[in-house]
Amino acid sequence: MNKTMLKLGFVLALFAGVACVGLAVVHSLTAEKIAAHAQSALENALKEIFPGADGFDDVSGELSSLDERITIGAAYDMKKDGTSVGIAVQATGPSYNGAATLLSGFSADKKVVRVVVLDLKDTPGLGANAANATYYVDRASRTTFPGQFSGKDIGDAFEAKKDVVAITASTITSRSLAAIVKASGEAAMVYFAKGGR
Amino acid sequence: MNKALSIFLRGIVIENPLAIIMIGLCSSVAVTTSVANGIGMTAGMVFVLLCSELIISLFRKVIPGNIRMPIFIVVIAAFTTMVDIIMQAYFPDLSEAMGVFIPLIVVNCIIMGRVEAFASRENAGHAVLDALGMGVGYAWVLIGMSVVRELLGNGTILGFQIMPESYQPVLFFVLPPGGFLVFALFIALNIALKKLWLGQDYKGGK
Repeated sequence: MNKTMLKLGFVLALFAGVACVGLAVVHSLTAEKIAAHAQSALENALKEIFPGADGFDDVSGELSSLDERITIGAAYDMKKDGTSVGIAVQATGPSYNGAATLLSGFSADKKVVRVVVLDLKDTPGLGANAANATYYVDRASRTTFPGQFSGKDIGDAFEAKKDVVAITASTITSRSLAAIVKASGEAAMVYFAKGGR
Repeated sequence: MNKALSIFLRGIVIENPLAIIMIGLCSSVAVTTSVANGIGMTAGMVFVLLCSELIISLFRKVIPGNIRMPIFIVVIAAFTTMVDIIMQAYFPDLSEAMGVFIPLIVVNCIIMGRVEAFASRENAGHAVLDALGMGVGYAWVLIGMSVVRELLGNGTILGFQIMPESYQPVLFFVLPPGGFLVFALFIALNIALKKLWLGQDYKGGK
C-alpha cells in the first residue's frame, strides 16, 4: 500500500516538475516582452493625455486617495520645458468583474484633461466598451465613454446617469469608473494646493 | 485510413462538442459577443486541446489509472498558462479582451472530456485527428455564434460597420439571454446538418 502511494506520488511529482520546467521556459522567453508592453502602454497613455509634454517627474509618493476603496498607484507631474503642464494620476478601484485601472490627467485650473482606461476586466461587448475607441456614448460628436470626462470640472458630481453618460446596460461599470476619476481628481487637487513641486 | 478519416470528421457535426455533446458551454456563451473574441477563444482552445490530447496519448501507458485526473489537470493547466502568457506577450489587445476566459480553458469540459474519453485510450495519431475534428466543430459553432451576435447586437463584424447607419443594434443579442437564444438556434442548425450528413442512418434525437 505504502509503496504504491509513494510510486503514485512520484509519478505525479514528475509530471508537475516537467510542466513547471515548460512554464519556466515560456515565462523567461516572454517576461521581458510583457513588461515592455506595460511600460509602453503607460508611456503612450501619458503622451495621449499630455501630447505637448516632453518629460515627467514621478511624484507617486506624494498623492493619496481620499476614497478608501480607490488606491492611487502612481502619479506623474508632466513637464514641458521644465514647467508643469498638469498631473497624470494612475488609480485603481473596484468595478464590475474586478478592479479597473485608469490614468487621468488634470490641469492646475481644476479641469480634467483626459482619461485613458489602462486595465478593465469587464464583460466583452458591454462594460468593456469603456475601453473601446469606437464605442460612442454620444454618436453625433463621437465622444467615447472616457472621452466625455475631458474638460469637466473636478468639482462636478461625476455621477453616472446624471452628469456622466452611462454605458448602455453597464451602470455599475460607469459608476465605478466615474468614481475613480473623481478620486484621482481630488488627490490631484490636494497636490496642486500644496503648490506642486 | 477510413477509421482515421471518420475520427476527424465526426467531431465536426455528428459529435459536435458544443451542439451535440454539449460541454464547455459557459465560456462559449460568454465570449461570443464579438467575432474577434470568438476567433481568439477558438485559437487558444484548439491549441490547448491539441497539445493536451497529444501529450496524454503519448504517455497514456505510464499514467497510473487512479491518479489520471490530477495528471490531466496538470498537463492542461500548463498548456493553458502557456497560451495565456504567450497571448499577453504577442497579442496584448486580444489578451485584454479575452480576460478571464483564457485561464478558464483549464476547466473547459471539452478538453477534460476528450482527454478522458479518447486520448487516454487511443494512439497519438488518432488523438491528434480527434483534437482537430473537435476543434473544427468547436470553431464553426463558436465563430458562427459570434458573427450572428456581433452583427445583430452591434451592427459590425470584426469592428467594421456592416449594417447601414440607420440600423438600430439589438442589444439583446450581446446580452446573455441573446447568447442562449443564438446557441439554441445553432443546436437546431447542427441537428439539421446531421440529418443531411447521415441520410438514412439518422435515427432521430440530437
